[in-house]
Amino acid sequence: MSELDRRIFLKLGAAAVIGTTLAPGITLFQAFAQDETEGRTSSKDRWGMVIDTNKCTADCTECTAACRTENNVPLFGDPRYDGHWIRKVTVTPKTDGAHSRSLPLLCNHCEHPPCQHVCPVAATFTREDGIVMIDKHRCIGCRYCMIACPYKARTFVFKNTEKWSNPDVPKRGKGVVEKCTFCAHRIDKGQIPSCVEACNKSGEKAMVFGNLNDPNSEIVQYIREHAPKGLREDLGLEPKVFYKGI
Amino acid sequence: MAKGKITYSTIRGDSPGYYALVCVLGALSLAGFGSAFMMFSQGHYITGMTNAVPWGLPIVIAIYLIGLSAGSLVLSALSSVFGKTEFKAFSRMASLLAALLMISALISIVLDWGKPERILVPFFSINPRSMFSLNGMLYSAYITICFVYLWAMFNEKEKLVKIIGFTAVFWAVLVHSGTGAIFGFVGARELFHSPLLPPSFIAAALSSGTALMIMVLYFTFRFTGRKLDEELLRRLGFYLAMFIIVVAYFVFIENITRSYWPSNYAMQKFLLLSGNKYSLIFWLGMVGCGLVFPFVILINPATGKSVRWILVASALVVTGVLAERYTIVIPGQVLPLEIFPGMNVTSDFQDGQINDYSISLAETLYGLGLTSLVFFLYVLALKFFELMPEEAVIASDIPDTSGTGKN
Ligand code: SF4
Ligand code: SF4
Repeated sequence: MSELDRRIFLKLGAAAVIGTTLAPGITLFQAFAQDETEGRTSSKDRWGMVIDTNKCTADCTECTAACRTENNVPLFGDPRYDGHWIRKVTVTPKTDGAHSRSLPLLCNHCEHPPCQHVCPVAATFTREDGIVMIDKHRCIGCRYCMIACPYKARTFVFKNTEKWSNPDVPKRGKGVVEKCTFCAHRIDKGQIPSCVEACNKSGEKAMVFGNLNDPNSEIVQYIREHAPKGLREDLGLEPKVFYKGI
Repeated sequence: MAKGKITYSTIRGDSPGYYALVCVLGALSLAGFGSAFMMFSQGHYITGMTNAVPWGLPIVIAIYLIGLSAGSLVLSALSSVFGKTEFKAFSRMASLLAALLMISALISIVLDWGKPERILVPFFSINPRSMFSLNGMLYSAYITICFVYLWAMFNEKEKLVKIIGFTAVFWAVLVHSGTGAIFGFVGARELFHSPLLPPSFIAAALSSGTALMIMVLYFTFRFTGRKLDEELLRRLGFYLAMFIIVVAYFVFIENITRSYWPSNYAMQKFLLLSGNKYSLIFWLGMVGCGLVFPFVILINPATGKSVRWILVASALVVTGVLAERYTIVIPGQVLPLEIFPGMNVTSDFQDGQINDYSISLAETLYGLGLTSLVFFLYVLALKFFELMPEEAVIASDIPDTSGTGKN
């Protein structure tokens, strides 16, 4: 379908839908939901991450700081509203108070993402390479996805902010939901996520990032050797961030 | 069908009392829209919502109004579908109210979005797997059904009325199951994830909707000085008592099941025994006002026959179901997500700790405003359309065909 055809089709469809408020717009949906990243991503890739909680230390915040700068994640000076794409968490087994672990928590880019299932306007979508993304132009800010994500990986933009550290990543205005993109803009340039880069450079080298579909990649080797686990695997979402040592 | 034809007429609506009521309701609605505009222009930080509790009072109010609307629609269908002709006189008022409640609920949902200006997006971009997306269609069709129903009644198309009556009842079941499923399908949160939510939404909708109708009918007839047979309210009171039993059953089963299993002890203790505002709202609001007190009033022969007491019971139920809605939406978010079972968790993003949610002034006005909007439009509609019967009495020569109408 040519671009013009598609537009006319959409307009006609729109009129019909508004007219009846009902017509099942499945076909419309399919026409509309064409992957905006087409051409840049490939279904041959499946990006994933491993975090070695034995290496990660409690006082290190290199990854979270790097993410904030890279992705313009807003800070409002009020912990209830601050954006979080990656956060440091300390976990202590209830039965063994001495055995504390520190680890970063981020979007798991679930293979079966409930955030995407519940999104009423299909603003949340999965790229061909498995990265779960939000189309900030389509998100209506209903926050159903925040209710559905079991990892609290999503935050809402509660107010506008003027801070904008990285022009490569578009700013989100108030009223939409945002979350980690595995630094998709960097991956598309052949780079690794900025949290991983920061951890390698000045942190504890606790993160491994790579292509889960490539049997020779460092991450696949690592997973074979250490068998790290996803969080709440019982929920069946098949998270693509794995943790060693918890 | 009733022998004596029911005559409908507009109300005069020229007394100072009427104008005062219109002004007060109008002002409250405006305040509601004002606070919605504040949310829109400032951002949601002016509400009590946070990243940990992203859904607040607007969602509570929305599902509350949706529930209230069921009762009205069912009441209006009682005569056409279930053969309870004595309620026919109320059909027009009830189906109008059903439509208005649903419209207000939809407004409450949309204005709560971070981007309400994207109102057209859901029409273009549909996700058939999302309960929000599906409900959007169910709700709009429901409103359409209510208006077609009204139109058919106005034009006395008895056959069509009957068909639409059936459709309406069927559709109401879909609407309330769908609304319950918004929460029930969410596997991430223990307090939401339950197959009982869709049916218990239907039950709560029936009880709150009937209670609301009892009050609306009483006060509308009283203020217009028209005759309302008290026996009709008593019969509705009887239905209300029955619906309360069903709601109570669901609440009981749901909580006893959860409380049985050790992994849920902490959660149930928080909800039922902690003495914080959530457990107070559970026991006093939902169980006390919503179930126990009104039920005792309604089945006690000394009070159950008195219209005054039936009104008290109805007011209690309408309050109690609001508490029930709150208990569905809020505590499930206030409790921390179990990301690391068996671990104590701390972070600078409130992981592992009980979150707080307090309704802000903006949200209070929002909820009050959108509820007032329903009655503002209702009161106006009574003046301009022939919705209200001149009188509502049980004609003594109509045999009670169903055999269950007596209580
Ligand atoms: S972690 Fe949460 S936000 Fe990320 S894909 Fe899974 S459900 Fe969605
Ligand atoms: S807030 Fe945005 S991304 Fe999340 S479910 Fe709603 S529309 Fe989708």
